[in-house]
Amino acid sequence: MDRFGQRVYAIAYHFTLKREDADELSQEIFLKIFENLDRYDGGFPLVAWVLSVSRNLCIDRYRRRKRENSFRFVSDEAVTALLKSDDDPATLALTKERTRMLFSALAEVPEDLAEILILRDLNGLAYDEIGQALELPEGTVKSRLFRARAEVAKRIRARHESHSLGGPLASIAMAAAGLV
Amino acid sequence: MSCRELERLFVSGAAEADSARHRATCDECERLGAELDRTVSLSAALRPPAWSPALRRALLDIPRSTVSCETADGLLATLVEGEIAPEDEARLRSHLSRCGACAEAAATLQSMRSLAAPEAPPWLAPRLAAARPDRKKRSFWRSAFSGRMVVAYAYAAALIVMLLGLNPTAVVRRAGFAGLGESTRNAVTVAESSIGDRLGALQEKAIRTLAVWRGRIGGYGRAAVSNAFALVWRPEPKKTPNRPRLGKDGGAAATPVDVDVAAGQREELSAPILRV
Ligand SMILES: [Zn+2]
Ligand SMILES: [Zn+2]
Repeated sequence: MDRFGQRVYAIAYHFTLKREDADELSQEIFLKIFENLDRYDGGFPLVAWVLSVSRNLCIDRYRRRKRENSFRFVSDEAVTALLKSDDDPATLALTKERTRMLFSALAEVPEDLAEILILRDLNGLAYDEIGQALELPEGTVKSRLFRARAEVAKRIRARHESHSLGGPLASIAMAAAGLV
Repeated sequence: MSCRELERLFVSGAAEADSARHRATCDECERLGAELDRTVSLSAALRPPAWSPALRRALLDIPRSTVSCETADGLLATLVEGEIAPEDEARLRSHLSRCGACAEAAATLQSMRSLAAPEAPPWLAPRLAAARPDRKKRSFWRSAFSGRMVVAYAYAAALIVMLLGLNPTAVVRRAGFAGLGESTRNAVTVAESSIGDRLGALQEKAIRTLAVWRGRIGGYGRAAVSNAFALVWRPEPKKTPNRPRLGKDGGAAATPVDVDVAAGQREELSAPILRV
């Protein structure tokens, strides 16, 4: 339960980027799992089955957050929860800024792309698990993932270019480069 | 035109070395590949957020706060009978607030209570009274279309569904609950307004309606039978017939004994129809 609960919580967090919302979403997911448990026949990996029954809950939350526009202003706190704190301060600051950009870019791509990137890159699910959860053939999972990464990268680049060289990211990057 | 080779290699599961070879010869893919690598390694470097002990406790507590659809099946029967334990009712209501299929089954069950009540519905008594004096002169079809016969057909149909061992709720869920609740409620309305005129359509709807009315052989099956007796065979049904009390598990699964009892009652119920 603990390992599994943590896993589900991480997914919930990436869809909501807010502790309270992730708590609520996790509870909704686990309620749904429990209520539908007698339909789980073991034919699926458990995590894929859980995702398939809770997918709508995640997407609903994701849309709500997107409507509220709060992804674009990803909070300090939301990002900090995801950082490994053993880096030196300058590297940490750079990673934090990049992570913030990653999530705001993620909020701008179509949700089926964002979803697959969350599942694969942020939660490390296997292609076949994602394929079973989303009812997609593995080839589709991969091409969608490729497009998701490319779209996110494109938006990060655009953001980066729109900042002048004196922008915050550039100065942090230079500072980090100087330290390394 | 942009080069799609990198994507093609990735989707086909080609080795890293193949992608590297292409990137070395294609500026566009080299640039894209470097960006993708940065995105992926950034994601990979993040740590999973930790849940709070309070959330963990709340998740462990879920089995005490709700029920599965399967358990809800049993509890719904006791809810409609008014014999549900308070803590079970709280868990059931929690489930119904989230589960559209079970909520629809519950609403339909509740609305069916009026049709299936032992007291004859208001439209039935005048019909019966009107039918009685000239019964001998009525043609087979007019008798067959009379109100009480429709009710008898409906119960017989429901019994057949039950005797076949189907779980009516499961049948309803599989059929798709959204439109069904609507149509069963409509069926009740139709039955009350123009019962003699639309037998064909009504019969079909009655089968579905009564299938929803969760006639489990152990619990509701017998209730349906006794209600059918009350409706069809009592000219002035004032007395409430003994309704079988449900066990704590709310409608046990069918046992051979139950089937025999119900089948016997069905024989009695359907025999007069055949004699008409
Ligand atoms: Zn290329
Ligand atoms: Zn349910």
